[in-house]
Amino acid sequence: MTTEEFLDPTDSVAVPRKTAARLATLDGKVITLLDISKAKGDHLLDRVEELLLERAKPKAIVRRKKPTFARPAPEDLRAEILKTSDAVIEALAD
Amino acid sequence: MALPERDPFEALFERGVTDGLPVVPPTRERVAAMVAGSGREADELIALVPPNFGRATVEKIAINAVMAGCRPEYLPVVIAGVLAMCDDAFDLHGVSATTNFHSPLFIVNGPARTALDINCGAGAFGPGWRANATIGRALRLIVANVGGASARTMSMSTMAHPGRYTYCIGEHEEENPWDSLAVEHGFAQDESTVAAFAAEAPHGVYDHRSATAKDLLITISRSLEVISHHKSTHHGDTLVVLSPEHARTIAGDGWSKADMREFLWHRLRKPVSELIPGLDGGDGLPAHVMAKFPHPETDATLIPKFREPGNLKFLVAGGTAGRFSAVIPGWTFPRMSRLVIKKVQSPREGL
Repeated sequence: MTTEEFLDPTDSVAVPRKTAARLATLDGKVITLLDISKAKGDHLLDRVEELLLERAKPKAIVRRKKPTFARPAPEDLRAEILKTSDAVIEALAD
Repeated sequence: MALPERDPFEALFERGVTDGLPVVPPTRERVAAMVAGSGREADELIALVPPNFGRATVEKIAINAVMAGCRPEYLPVVIAGVLAMCDDAFDLHGVSATTNFHSPLFIVNGPARTALDINCGAGAFGPGWRANATIGRALRLIVANVGGASARTMSMSTMAHPGRYTYCIGEHEEENPWDSLAVEHGFAQDESTVAAFAAEAPHGVYDHRSATAKDLLITISRSLEVISHHKSTHHGDTLVVLSPEHARTIAGDGWSKADMREFLWHRLRKPVSELIPGLDGGDGLPAHVMAKFPHPETDATLIPKFREPGNLKFLVAGGTAGRFSAVIPGWTFPRMSRLVIKKVQSPREGL
């Protein structure tokens, strides 16, 4: 018995996704702050929003919320964020 | 003594495809025999397994079942388990990625329990039965290896629980005075089914003295009252596993499952005044709910522990001696995981 003969229990179709290119600056950009709807997520994002306004000059900060943290964001919400935003910050809390 | 240079067990550990225990090496011969046990083609796609949506073909399921130690005749039950946990209503994505404790618990009903020697009696949640141990383990390996929810990467449960190694029982139908879980959900008595339920570990309820349904259910309600925490509300599907002795006491008073549900649901409501955050513990009703009650400290509005009576699911399992039952909290958030049951399709007669 050689180990090369063992069949692969994993799924080879799944491939790691590439992350989007990073922004050089936040100035003049539209930034979405996505609350995943966990307890105190708004506390965390309120502070992130304050820091963004203090340290950069974004064109706009948009607040959005997932209906539930238990599932991926709905397709229409993801499409809307893609269409309207240059960057998104998704926040967990608890 | 040194290990052989190509020790198969060590090689599989190195590939990162085990659950931390040794696995049976998935040779072509073993996998072919396992596939044959299903009566299906090897390349048939059964489901996409969240969160990575890996393709669970019959062969991929069979490879993991070999590794878990299954016998080929178990494979139809494993396949039904894959279908149940990959149903959208189960939300395996959330169950696998959550920081909560949960693991799918698989509950087998029907003739497969006896045909495959699945334990539903004494020690049902414990070790010693190959079918329980390896069917549950195969499904966990599929979650990690095909779904991608491996420990240390995608699966980031703060604590998890030992059921994430294996968590599979049968219902003790012969000791159940009511319809079985499967029959209650629309399946026939002679059909074999597998239910997937996103479950914490069993929490024991001891009651040696209650002689009436009402007294016993009051004891059980006190354990249900504190799941998650004593002020959490609006839970979803939750399992109450009644031992045969406890089931007999309740049924002996003429109570149906619907009677139990109604009694427990009504009893498990608390007034707003007892659910205020910061009073008797920091947690409590969320801010958007509290905002509806201008004078919460005197508000007697009753808030339910469970969204609906139907969220309380009952199962009879365990040995015939012992006045012990168990409550098993589900994964309860809004749009949460629900109990899902699938029929076993087997090439064998009587399964």
